[in-house]
Amino acid sequence: MLFKFVDFIVDGSMNMAVSSSFSRTIYSEIEEVGWEHLVKLAEDLSFVTFRVVDKKERVHVLEIILDKSYPNCPPSVSADVPYLFNLEWSANSRLNDVVKQFREHLEKLQHFWSAVEDIDQSLWVFDSAQLHRATSLRRINIGNDCSIILFIRANEPRSLPECRFLGSDKYVNMLRDKWRRNSDKWSKDKLFGENLANLLEFQLPGPPGVEKNDQPIECGICYSQFLPVDDELGPKSGGRTDYTCENSTCSKAFHSVCLGDWLRSITTTRQSFDVLFGNCPYCSQPVAVKISTRK
Amino acid sequence: MTSPSASSRKALSKIATNRLQKELMEWQVNPPAGFKHKVTDNLQRWIIEVNGAPGTLYANEVFQLQVDFPEHYPMEAPQVVFIPPAPLHPHIYSNGHICLDILYDSWSPAMTVSSVCISIVSMLSSSTSKQRPADDERYVKNCRNGRSPKETRWWFHDDKV
Repeated sequence: MLFKFVDFIVDGSMNMAVSSSFSRTIYSEIEEVGWEHLVKLAEDLSFVTFRVVDKKERVHVLEIILDKSYPNCPPSVSADVPYLFNLEWSANSRLNDVVKQFREHLEKLQHFWSAVEDIDQSLWVFDSAQLHRATSLRRINIGNDCSIILFIRANEPRSLPECRFLGSDKYVNMLRDKWRRNSDKWSKDKLFGENLANLLEFQLPGPPGVEKNDQPIECGICYSQFLPVDDELGPKSGGRTDYTCENSTCSKAFHSVCLGDWLRSITTTRQSFDVLFGNCPYCSQPVAVKISTRK
Repeated sequence: MTSPSASSRKALSKIATNRLQKELMEWQVNPPAGFKHKVTDNLQRWIIEVNGAPGTLYANEVFQLQVDFPEHYPMEAPQVVFIPPAPLHPHIYSNGHICLDILYDSWSPAMTVSSVCISIVSMLSSSTSKQRPADDERYVKNCRNGRSPKETRWWFHDDKV
């Protein structure tokens, strides 16, 4: 910590007076929150982050931005939450009050997180790796190449969510009708899986039981792990990615069917017997794919 | 712009449907700055609101992009046009067609709607004068019967703007 004071002295005596009293304020306020909660303090004291653990042992990080006007003006805060709280600030408020209000806010959000956890554990949620604590929507596989996006209301997580249907028009229109017709069957006391089954009139698939160390990889072209099940694809129907770009800094995975389709659609590709020679769509390094014979 | 090809276009393939569902989800979680996808249930046509970047010639202007996906997306590029009034730009025709290589010859399935949007906003942002391409009148006349920009043989002038 000594270095900081040295820096301020170099800045000039005027700055030093302001800065050292400012930093003394900040340090004593961090002390009050507890150094064990501190994650990071910017070298120029422009922001500070604290770790806050909620009742369910979820770890949250609160960032507090301190500008020169602090503590006369309230600091701005940011965190990975679906919505932020309105900071109450008075002449004698301190960092500890920010943390306290954040804790109260986390308390309010417990229902939201338990609702989305219910969804994540009982339904087939897509792209779960990209989801943050703040994410209030979920895309759910409902089978038949269809999915729905649920927009969970953060302040009323158990109420009927807004829903978008994605898939073939015919099937989606049928589901949308059912959803509209049955929407009064939604009950705040029931779990999501049960509510969705009541509205859509069928049981939704649960999460895929994939083992962690055998996670299938997504294809860089179709963005799916598995090819569609389709007679036209012959033995490759429903298959996993089976080609990886040999450039080790790229290593993108593809279905050879998808990569072959792409290479065949551009004019720069060369073919020799049943092998297509072209370039990886990601890194442009040469690739060679054996094409499958289709019916 | 309702081109004849739009009304007769084929439904999306399974692969295209799956991939677009993923792109839309990724867009919802992480939309490119300055763009807003207008919510519809039509996966095959996206209408996207574009806000001119602050500090550029197009600041505070709002435009609309229409993105139509072919049956075999992403093997083929989406058709991307501005719904007139299109921004005044040396590479954007008054009928909304955009002269940008990644929409035609340089398309690759490694690109996404989101990365295309970012290219378009950076093309707008680097513009130094608000004017139409020199051959605007001739080109637009040629497209009168609703020709798709994907049928144009583009000749990419420069990469300055």
